[in-house]
Amino acid sequence: MKPSIAVHKFSSCDGCQLAFLNLGEDLLTLFEQVDVRHFAEAGPVDASAEVDISFVEGSISTPDEIERIREVRAHSRYLVTIGACATAGGLQALRNLADSGEWMAAIYATPEHIHTLDAVAPVSEHVKVDRELWGCPVNSRQLLAAINSLLAGVVPRDEPDSICLECKRQGHACVMVTRGVPCMGPVTRSGCGALCPGVDRGCYGCYGPCEKPSTEVLAHWFAGLGLTPEQIAQRFLAFTPEAPAFYAAGRSRLTADD
Amino acid sequence: MTDQRELHINVPVLARVEGEGALTLHIKDQAIEQVDLRIFEPPRLFEKLLEGREYHQVPDMVARICGICPVAYQMCAVHALEQIFGPVRDPWVRAMRRLFYCGEWLQSHSLHIHLLAAPDFLGFNSAPAMAAEYPGEVRRGLRLQALGNDIIRLIGGRSVHPVGACVGGFHHQPDTTAMQELKVRLTAALEDASELVHWCAALDLPDDDQAFCSVALRHPDEYPMNAGRIISSAGLDIDAADYEAHFREHQVAHSTALHSLLDGEPYLVGPLARINLNLDRLPAAVQSLLQETGIRFPSRNMFHSIVARAAEIHYALLEAVRLIDTLPVAAQAAVTVQPRAGTGVGCTEAPRGLLWHRYETDGGGRIVAARIVPPTSQNQLRIEQDIRLSLERFGLQHSEDELRARAEKVIRNYDPCISCATHFLRLKLERDPRPAGQPSPLAASGPVPDHDPAPVVIIGIGSPHGLDAVGWKAVEALGASGFAARFRPGLVRLENCSVPAALPALITATRLLVLIDALPERDAANGWCRIERDDLEVVTGAPSSHTLSIAEAVAVCESVAMVAPRIVCFGITTGPGTAGSADEVAGRIVAGLGDAIRAEIKAWLTE
Repeated sequence: MKPSIAVHKFSSCDGCQLAFLNLGEDLLTLFEQVDVRHFAEAGPVDASAEVDISFVEGSISTPDEIERIREVRAHSRYLVTIGACATAGGLQALRNLADSGEWMAAIYATPEHIHTLDAVAPVSEHVKVDRELWGCPVNSRQLLAAINSLLAGVVPRDEPDSICLECKRQGHACVMVTRGVPCMGPVTRSGCGALCPGVDRGCYGCYGPCEKPSTEVLAHWFAGLGLTPEQIAQRFLAFTPEAPAFYAAGRSRLTADD
Repeated sequence: MTDQRELHINVPVLARVEGEGALTLHIKDQAIEQVDLRIFEPPRLFEKLLEGREYHQVPDMVARICGICPVAYQMCAVHALEQIFGPVRDPWVRAMRRLFYCGEWLQSHSLHIHLLAAPDFLGFNSAPAMAAEYPGEVRRGLRLQALGNDIIRLIGGRSVHPVGACVGGFHHQPDTTAMQELKVRLTAALEDASELVHWCAALDLPDDDQAFCSVALRHPDEYPMNAGRIISSAGLDIDAADYEAHFREHQVAHSTALHSLLDGEPYLVGPLARINLNLDRLPAAVQSLLQETGIRFPSRNMFHSIVARAAEIHYALLEAVRLIDTLPVAAQAAVTVQPRAGTGVGCTEAPRGLLWHRYETDGGGRIVAARIVPPTSQNQLRIEQDIRLSLERFGLQHSEDELRARAEKVIRNYDPCISCATHFLRLKLERDPRPAGQPSPLAASGPVPDHDPAPVVIIGIGSPHGLDAVGWKAVEALGASGFAARFRPGLVRLENCSVPAALPALITATRLLVLIDALPERDAANGWCRIERDDLEVVTGAPSSHTLSIAEAVAVCESVAMVAPRIVCFGITTGPGTAGSADEVAGRIVAGLGDAIRAEIKAWLTE
């Protein structure tokens, strides 16, 4: 029997599902090798099918989404979160730092029609997550590696190293050392291929914190480059604001600034 | 309930659209009383979370509004902010931005035609399913999509949320050799693209002429992407800065996307609107290609949007090749901008249509206020209007299934990007009773099929030789006694296993795992016992001659299964006093062991 997978979307931009849809002709091979039971954007719809692996994109931000994610968990052998939203809240979790009721009222004339939770949460806050794939967005290489590992019955390899290691392997000159450009690379998890230093800019942290990130050391360095506490906070509080290490580094500076 | 009944057709998800929405149709007395395209994508409040951010963060943040069209959001943002800081007129930057956009049109349109829309017209539920019968066509589409992604990747490092663009231009200049190599591939794909236009035009597209207003950008000498005035087929011709004087967004109870009206009326944005208003701006090659299809543009048939999209794929390839051929030498990758206070507007043509941004900044270039109007919220009322007209023309006597399929097809014509504006399309159909005797299609649909692949697996472990084989033999005896057949089909599977490496494949999706093994060197021969998890090491501690011991099996299962199944172990005690072969021992204990396992399964099922 072919292994089965499902792809579910919650509050998100759709970009991580594209790591499947952008596989090109490999997409057809994937559909031959696994039984895709639910993947609305690609066609198959059966949200309550029992599957070996469910890939979940997006964060949990409405009461309905809490119910849905519990259903997904109940029908999945493995639940793998894909991307910054599912894993660490995503950009939209920035509203947790503000009065989102006031925000809602600013955008919607009758906010009482909008049903949202007080806080945007990563999937792991509501159900058990077996594997987290970081990235905003995740890429096809990460997804295929996860599928292949899980189907071979082994735990997928984590990539907890910092961008710095990836950057060195690629042979990029350090943008911070050579040009004084603030770079989140030293505290950010690898996996993207050190894209930003590759295009001559600083990393902006979209893969979330690496293992044991020295956020205070980096923040100190940023201050030395002339960044204000608020500017430093904004770098930590961006794409994975619910990742504890980044949240702590950012939040403490917002408070200090108040 | 009197003369009206409410039917809930649970299409849990409108497949093959980007995002989550639902449709409510109210049909009464053979007339559509109400159409609500319900958009439920949870609001992500981008406009508010941009406030207080520095200008250089904006292109990276707004990209996250949509994974399919991040380039459009980045381009709108940089143009709006440069309107405040000083417009960038650098010819290299301008050409590269257009090339960047060509990549996005190419990938987004190819994705829509092949993965989302075409299966509708050919009777498949997905592109991979369609590929069985149309392998060449699907592969051609995926190649074109990949080519678009390659353009974006060359400029921006990755195709989703690319990192190359900034206010002022780009962070770096892409490698020119790679650009020339890409040009060769783009040129070679032109043939694919013109075949695609003909293929789309030859699909069985319904004849559905409707009066509607098209809105798009118009540029003095280009097919519109990054610049131009906003015009409409009703004679509107305004600067993008005047957008808010003519277009109004308002909230409706059934949607988290704001609805947009032009002077109080619904309108269309997107590829068909662009072609309708800019046919003369297309190169001769694309115009003649469109002529060959026999479809006359401008068109008032929304089903022609798939042909318009294909034509824009052809155009994007031609334009990308032209841009690379004529690319000016770059003075710098980005013009240095001077942040200042002000308000700026950016309006560009996203793959799905007009995208409009306005930002207000303070003196340091921080965002004070932002407003973003995505294409899908602009199309939303037009989609509702179209569903109404299209279904009435199609005939309301059709079954719910047929009406739903038709409505979905109409919706997909707009390539709605619901993350931009939302993902479930639940169709809630309310209508008066059908003629007597005609059953609801709902009544015919049975329960959801049970897809669960054997949640309970019973494995005999150990070697297949001598008395060690008694675990195996017990499982075989259970099989022969019809053990699995007493449960619902598919619940219980029986297996034997002698090597650890084979275990993971046997326990895929297993929730309750029963392991049966021989316990050698026992005094109490000819019996069986349940081995508790904590006793496992003690009971089976002695090295055994087994290829696989029960403790090893448990360890393997627990380490490979991240959602560990419940594991229950039984040992069959054998020793020097054991009489008979493994077969005979198994035969003696099978009834009692079977009862014990059945009790375990029942206990698990009732939890």
